[in-house]
Amino acid sequence: MNALLPIFLAVTAIVPAALPTKPSPEGLAFFEQKIRPLLVEHCYECHSTEAKKLKGNLLLDSKAGWQKGGDGGEPVIVPGNPQASQLLKSVRHEDPDTAMPPKKPKLPEAAIADLVAWVKMGAPDPRDGTQLEAKRADKSWWSLQPLAREFRHKDIDGFLEEKLAEKDLHFNGPAGARDLIRRMSYDLTGLPPSMEEVEAFAKAYAAEARPAVEALVDRLLDSPQYGEHWGRHWLDVVRFGESNGFERNFIINDLWPFRDYVIHSINEDKPFNRFMAEHLAGDILGKGNPAVEVGSAFLVAGPYDDVGNQDVVAQKNIRAATLDEIVTSTSSAFLGLTVNCARCHNHKFDPIPTEDYYRLRAAFEGVKHGRRVVATAQERADFETATKPLNAEKTRLVEEQSVLEKAVEVRSKAAALSQKTIRPKMDPNATEEHFPSEQVHFVKFVMHASTANAKSATNARLTEFEVWTAGAESRNVALASNGGRANGAQSVTAEDFPEAYGPQLCIDGKPGEQWAVGTPAELTITLARAERIDRIVFSNAKGKDVPDKSQGATPCEYEVRVSVDEIIWKTVASGVDRAPWSEAHGVERVRREVTTEEERAQLATLANRIAALQGKIDAVPKLREIWAGTYSQPKELTFVHKGGDPMKPGDSVVPASLSVLERVGKPFALPAEAPEGERRLALARWITSDDNPIASRVLANRLWHYHFGTGLVDTPGDFGFLGSRPSHPELLDFLATRLLFYGWRLKPLHREIMLSRAYLQSAAPREEAARVDKSARLLWRFPPRRLGAEEIRDTVLSAAGKLQLVPAGGLGFRLYKVLSNNVSTYVPLEQHGPETYRRAVYHQNARASVVDLLSDFDLPDTAFAAPKRANTSTPLQALTLLNHSFTLDMAAALATRIGSNNSVLTAYRIVFQRPPSPAEQGAAEAFIVSHGLPAFCRALLNASELVFLD
Amino acid sequence: MSALDLSRRSFLGAMTTGMTGVALSRLLATEVHAAPPRPPHFAPKAKQVLQIFCPGAASHVDLWDHKPMLEQYDGTPLPGAEQEVTFQGKNGTLMRPPWAFLPAGGSGKMISSMLPHMSRHVDDMAFIHSMVSRSNTHGPGCIGMNTCFTREGFPSAGSWVNYALGSLNDNLPTYVSIQDLRGEPPNGKANWSNGFLPAEYQAVSMSAQQPLRNLARPAGVSEMEDAATREFLQTMNAGFAGSHPGQDELSARLATYALAARMQLKAPEVSDLAREPEHVHALYGTQDPNALKAAYARNCLLARRFLEQGVRYVSLYCASRASAVDGLLNWDAHKTLKADYERHCPIFDQPTAALLSDLKQRGMLDNVLVLWCTEFGRMPTRQEGTSGRDHNPDAFTTWMMGAGVKGGVSHGATDEFGRRSVQDVATVYDFYATVLQLLGLNHEQLTYYHNGANRRLTDVHGHVLKALLA
Repeated sequence: MNALLPIFLAVTAIVPAALPTKPSPEGLAFFEQKIRPLLVEHCYECHSTEAKKLKGNLLLDSKAGWQKGGDGGEPVIVPGNPQASQLLKSVRHEDPDTAMPPKKPKLPEAAIADLVAWVKMGAPDPRDGTQLEAKRADKSWWSLQPLAREFRHKDIDGFLEEKLAEKDLHFNGPAGARDLIRRMSYDLTGLPPSMEEVEAFAKAYAAEARPAVEALVDRLLDSPQYGEHWGRHWLDVVRFGESNGFERNFIINDLWPFRDYVIHSINEDKPFNRFMAEHLAGDILGKGNPAVEVGSAFLVAGPYDDVGNQDVVAQKNIRAATLDEIVTSTSSAFLGLTVNCARCHNHKFDPIPTEDYYRLRAAFEGVKHGRRVVATAQERADFETATKPLNAEKTRLVEEQSVLEKAVEVRSKAAALSQKTIRPKMDPNATEEHFPSEQVHFVKFVMHASTANAKSATNARLTEFEVWTAGAESRNVALASNGGRANGAQSVTAEDFPEAYGPQLCIDGKPGEQWAVGTPAELTITLARAERIDRIVFSNAKGKDVPDKSQGATPCEYEVRVSVDEIIWKTVASGVDRAPWSEAHGVERVRREVTTEEERAQLATLANRIAALQGKIDAVPKLREIWAGTYSQPKELTFVHKGGDPMKPGDSVVPASLSVLERVGKPFALPAEAPEGERRLALARWITSDDNPIASRVLANRLWHYHFGTGLVDTPGDFGFLGSRPSHPELLDFLATRLLFYGWRLKPLHREIMLSRAYLQSAAPREEAARVDKSARLLWRFPPRRLGAEEIRDTVLSAAGKLQLVPAGGLGFRLYKVLSNNVSTYVPLEQHGPETYRRAVYHQNARASVVDLLSDFDLPDTAFAAPKRANTSTPLQALTLLNHSFTLDMAAALATRIGSNNSVLTAYRIVFQRPPSPAEQGAAEAFIVSHGLPAFCRALLNASELVFLD
Repeated sequence: MSALDLSRRSFLGAMTTGMTGVALSRLLATEVHAAPPRPPHFAPKAKQVLQIFCPGAASHVDLWDHKPMLEQYDGTPLPGAEQEVTFQGKNGTLMRPPWAFLPAGGSGKMISSMLPHMSRHVDDMAFIHSMVSRSNTHGPGCIGMNTCFTREGFPSAGSWVNYALGSLNDNLPTYVSIQDLRGEPPNGKANWSNGFLPAEYQAVSMSAQQPLRNLARPAGVSEMEDAATREFLQTMNAGFAGSHPGQDELSARLATYALAARMQLKAPEVSDLAREPEHVHALYGTQDPNALKAAYARNCLLARRFLEQGVRYVSLYCASRASAVDGLLNWDAHKTLKADYERHCPIFDQPTAALLSDLKQRGMLDNVLVLWCTEFGRMPTRQEGTSGRDHNPDAFTTWMMGAGVKGGVSHGATDEFGRRSVQDVATVYDFYATVLQLLGLNHEQLTYYHNGANRRLTDVHGHVLKALLA
């Protein structure tokens, strides 16, 4: 038995000094005269306890130091054998990689000869007695060992009680029924129980506690809200976010299927080894099965930089950073290792060589962010059947159309040569057209071409369009401020901001904002009243001091038409006698002129038929596309990047398992040219194998973390040297083996944990226990906690009777407005409408989008995995919860729900699931009399009792 | 005695079971500091920071870093780098700055004539002419300058300082980020993010045009009702805290509600610029007919008022994100540098200079460290076919002044054309190692554990720029 022993040794990692063997007086003299000065002068700067930065983890200021060795793990001096002593190889510069001292001249030959002589005489060294505290982990590190299989206790409580007893502590008595059902309901579903549920449970609990608790756990585990709540936990772990972050931070509207997949998988208790493997290779494991394929969206659910960069070095760095994000997320989510710390150098604290980092990268080398079709074979076949004949017919018509167009083009090219124009080119900054005055009510600007497209003006930009009255004191009657109205289609919309890019921007009298011309490319100005006009001006300048470089295309072939009744139109001006913008524009202009009526009719018919066909094609339901990444065979080998610099390739590596775990599990290594999908599949199988102790340990610890608020390892994403040591190592292995026993299913493990005495005990404080263990890490009581951000919002909605449990899934709701224009800006909503009254897990969590209540209460911004959330108290929380319109709306709804009969009792039952005390009742009634029920409800929604759990 | 007092008393009576009157009154006391000041590592030279940020990559060679060779070789290729490809594409020939440089201050430091007001402060400034950036893209560049990391998720310097030193006041936020009227800088909120530091170290984002979110009493709630509700709530929450001895978060929560209430009184008072006399408004230019300048001037004035009240870290933005039109909304002059900067410089110059004069005259520079930042520099060449400059991560200028900073210093240098930093090359790590040093903090000792690493503001780099220290 004792599985604990090696673990403890590794934790404290004290290397005892060698047994004192007395050096001879001659040896001692040699050391003091020759060797010590040499070591001090040339080595201590980097290899002593005084070193500013210890290099290679090697100490040369004690005998124990060179006996232990550095990162190599072998003694660097073998007494009596200079050839086998690494220290001598280094000072002799036998291998340039380990040559010492670095970047300095080689030691004098005499000094090297002294060292050789010293080693030959058995390396006498009086500097013993020094104990070395491990400054980093090696492969004997606790988390890298196989799981213990034999245990000294047979249930969870046994392990805990043993530790408690060591400190003279013991469990609290059982929790009361109300505390317990509130604790368990929030724990499994993130929602409060109803008063009726509390009362029913209290009754059953009083009658026979154990069956009542078991029934409750089973009911909650079966509830669909369980998957929503635990799915939300998992989304933290896998840094799920629905925008790409970085500069553009565009929103991603088709990543939600991954969120739903997580929720469904957890609800159906899918074995977690399969679930995790699907994250890495769902597209391979479940080819043609969308429910599984979507799993691999994990790989691309993180932030990445998509700003185009022409600089080749920058491109390489961006790609390296993108893959780094995937490596980081994978190793922290599934392995609890910070493999990413080995990107530029061997890991400083864990035995992870930099090659391991690039082995992982090699597995992901072919992954790119983006969307792809995720459909069953049947769906693909159906789609093909439905669209194939339509596409064939369309191709035929398009051919017919091009024959006709060609004929016209031949004639127009000839005609263009003889074309005469008299006026200068249109000027994008301001073009005026004068015409004999007309009394009109409507002005239409018909655009045939833009400076960027000789065939169409759609997508052109227009800043201003002015209509001037004839005679003295001419006025621009198109101006909105003069009563003008503008109508026209727009080709660009900014999400959530319908006012952007609209035609009204042409008559606002301000340069700058532009109308994005749509189809048909026509602008109709309705004047406030009939006016006599003789001039129009159009302009695409973005401001007087901004010349045309940046303004986009400008309409350059156009007609100005006027009308009194909007039925009969008269063309009063056009650009046909201006010099064409380009030769191509000239050809197109002539084409419009040389096309016969018959051809025009034929072309129109063809265009209509093609459009109709296209309509039918578009009407066939599209195969579903999901932001699940695209995968292609890597074109290049994966190299180690020296110093993390992609411009400094070192040795090549192949997709392979991590050497840090080579002592456990079955390693794999694929050929360098292994197919893309096979790489991820091999990695997935290796990570989730039962032999790999770390994945099950990490997962079991996450369960514990969410149940008790603190993991047995309280750094759930880091089981390395800088992470914390397990408070109960044997219990952790016990839980991991239970997880394997249950076939990687979580529900039975939840049940086992929640039926423990540790879990079912009261949260009552005890002063003498708190003095020993304030945070109750040893679990002498159940640790009370504040609710998480989503739980608070869901609770407020639920108290107000407004929480909508359906739709459970689909595109998320938003508590912000998005302005997308090259980059995206997220503006928090002032008012939250009923469409937002869904569970917070369905909020579309874009990155860097502040959303008041959720962000204030520590909803992580998923730039990184958040294996553990912060839990803060800030004045902004108070301001938001007191003053945001959401609280006021919910307070009003709660007041309505409570009604005026027995208000205080009803309120306490709904909000706190308990009756008020007589004093609370009296105080509340007095308050309601003075300030009304909504004010009372506003206070209740801010109550600490609402957001803290015993 | 009012009904409220009565109800409060009976309420208190009922809820103090197991609690002494003293304990309860301590819980209800409003003096509780939410973020008490914490001692630095050693005696600080500066206690507060004002960071002025010009997003879009403000051109070093056109504003601060005089390169006579650009005038001499205007129109000829940059030797050895003909047709170099940078962020947006190919570069053309060398381009002289559109305006003359003039000697300024006692030192005769050459400064662009587009910054006549700022040039009066050069004797107090310490320039770093040899900065380099790890990114040539605005978003990563901006957060690189604010967090030392070019990917998002890391805490900004202001949050680190907040985490290290805590608050100097008990009625205002510790860290305020003031946004330009034109909008947020590239990468938006990540620039003042608390990253992985707990939310209590977050910045509060606001401006003279945009008050603090959720600060105001909701419409439809009277002042009396509001006060009574909060009083009722505090009493109720004190009772709950009293019944949960040893659960410190509960008393912390009471304190945050009290702090919120004080902020509700204080923040509008500080933001009320009408309290400033006419001559101060005139100094800053808050009434300027240029609406963008007037708005920025009001933000400058707001920054001073926050610093005056002991806000630890104020960041102030002059310009905003990238737009579809380069250089329109910020300093990103790709194609029409002259026109762009003739728009931006006048917005920036007078109000910023006025803020510096005002701080100096009030003696506030004894405590306040002023930083001027941008994310990277611009090329000495014109972008091919334009009269603007592309991004240049290899050289840019920043400066510091105020508490602990030696005035009139120019540290480091670029090459003769301003293409690359070559002498005493300085990184953003060095920049913040120096800032922390001035605040009494050793940048290698200020750490926070996150996902497997003891993170630092300066990552694993940074050397204090001693030449800048007074």
